Amino acid sequence: MTINKTQDGSKLEIALEGRLDTMTTPSLEEEIKNSIEGITELVFDLKDLAYVSSAGLRVLLSAQKTMNKQGTMTIRNANEEVLEIFEVTGFIDILNIEE
Amino acid sequence: MENKKYRITGLAGRLILGLAVIVALVTIGSIFVGVRTYRASTHRHYNDVAYQVARSAELLFDKEELENWSDIAVEYNTSGTGIEEIARIRESEEYLGYVEAFTDLRRGMDVDDIFVGAVNGDEIYYILDTDPVEDRRFNLGDRSGIEDYISDAVRSSWETGIPYSGYLLHETDYGLNITAVYPIVYDGRTIAFIAVESPMRTLESDVSSYIFTVLIIVCIITVILFVLTAFILVNLLIKPIKTISHEAAYFVENENEISENLRKIKNHDEIQVLAESVLKMEIGINEYISNLTKVTAEKERIGAELNVAAKIQADMLPGVFPAFPDRKEFDLYASMDPAKEVGGDFYDFFLIDDDHIGLVIADVSGKGVPAALFMVIAKTLIKNRAMMGGSPSEVLAYANDQLGEGNEAELFVTVWFAIIEISTGKGIAANAGHEHPALRKKDGKFELIKYRHSPAVATMPGINFREHEFKLDPGDSLYVYTDGVTEATRSDNVLFGTDRMIESLNKNPDADPESMLDTVRADIDEFVGDAPQFDDITMLGFKYMGSEESPLA
Repeated sequence: MTINKTQDGSKLEIALEGRLDTMTTPSLEEEIKNSIEGITELVFDLKDLAYVSSAGLRVLLSAQKTMNKQGTMTIRNANEEVLEIFEVTGFIDILNIEE
Repeated sequence: MENKKYRITGLAGRLILGLAVIVALVTIGSIFVGVRTYRASTHRHYNDVAYQVARSAELLFDKEELENWSDIAVEYNTSGTGIEEIARIRESEEYLGYVEAFTDLRRGMDVDDIFVGAVNGDEIYYILDTDPVEDRRFNLGDRSGIEDYISDAVRSSWETGIPYSGYLLHETDYGLNITAVYPIVYDGRTIAFIAVESPMRTLESDVSSYIFTVLIIVCIITVILFVLTAFILVNLLIKPIKTISHEAAYFVENENEISENLRKIKNHDEIQVLAESVLKMEIGINEYISNLTKVTAEKERIGAELNVAAKIQADMLPGVFPAFPDRKEFDLYASMDPAKEVGGDFYDFFLIDDDHIGLVIADVSGKGVPAALFMVIAKTLIKNRAMMGGSPSEVLAYANDQLGEGNEAELFVTVWFAIIEISTGKGIAANAGHEHPALRKKDGKFELIKYRHSPAVATMPGINFREHEFKLDPGDSLYVYTDGVTEATRSDNVLFGTDRMIESLNKNPDADPESMLDTVRADIDEFVGDAPQFDDITMLGFKYMGSEESPLA
């Protein structure tokens, strides 16, 4: 999985590419941990993300919880498969997902 | 150089050989330089002697008379006139006096020959000669060619009137000679030259004895050096190195016992540093071993405790089947195969009252001890709350609030929880982010039942969990599972997936729950092959038979 970060002041956009699973999640968790401070607008671009496992969901949830305290978090461009995962797992109710 | 206790090693041997080569080179060099220097000084000495003799001879002459004789000798040889004059002079008292004086000088100075002549072209016209061999002695007016080795010297000194400055060396039957060529100048012209042949008889024997002496001295020095080197090598190098090597072997052979001998090496050099390093290393190894032993023991203890924890966790899940032997209305079976020692998956089933059974399957996000602890709490909360009565959504909402409190690790748990009314087969399920259940209607096939799920338990406070109603008819089967089933991964990273799972269930749709689960498990094992198991594999099968006695059946 590749993680592309674009920061513009307090706005951070993270584009994910590949599979967000047990193996790749720790690196995303580390990236978020290192750069989330002072961010008021966090955007995940999932255009090229093929799969999210429960470990990946946990990191997204954790980011959402942090952003609830300091700003907003948006998930955009999720493909159908990933959207279905969000839907089935109920994450569609707690994450701010743009369709 | 042999020592009984310490044999000279290859290193020492090479050092001594190298030393011998150096000594040999120095010897050859010093002999070469010595002989050269000696020869040069000897040549100079004999050359000086020859010129001193020549100068002494010059002083004997009455120059005017010499000029006269020289002119007569030249005249005689170039035009053939004056033979009577020459004969007269040869017999004259004066001339014979000169010959005698010169002969005395030759003898007194221990030189081979003194002769006086004039030069014309390539020839010498003799004026006087003192050669001790009568046959070779020239007389006034005799002529001969100039010998090659003095040719240049004779002609240049004749022309310039300056004594030749180089050494004229000449090998004769009696040894090496050196010749002085000394011109006699009178009234601005060179009237004659004096040649003195001086033997260097002592030179070669002196050189031989010099070389011999040097060789003897060098041999003695070499032997002393050998002895000294061997002594130094043995005592300063080989002995302590042997000690170090011996002590290292002793350390290995005697179960890491450190001997004190290493401390006794006090050479104040690199050897001592080496000995100290070896000692430090031995101490370090011992410390490391004792540390490792401690750590290993600790690890074993933790491992043992984890095993106990895994056992406790496994025992928390109902594991006796048939679980309700006196209930003929349904049959159920469940299994959980953890991937690590302790996992986050669990299943549960319990009778809430005589007519209601609760079924739970859940998966805590994460793995290991944190997930296991979370799982224990989640399982307890759900069962306890369910036993108090309430709908699945109420039970999960309660668990959500309780688990969400102080959930610093941000763990959550996906839960499928259903309460089934045994007498009617009516069920209410709440799905908190868990996998789709599979249902098989009587005489049909297993299919996934898809509907929108609620978020997982402990993700956010105050979640409202949706409920989903369903009805089982006699002969229907229900199958729930965790993602360990669908995400079982083959070595080429292909997942088992829901399609293979449904296919596996449909091999024998009417099977009882136990053989249903066994079939799926066997298919997973076959699919995965040798690839390691990453996630817990947990399944629960429920088959509804209905109640024959029940009026509703």
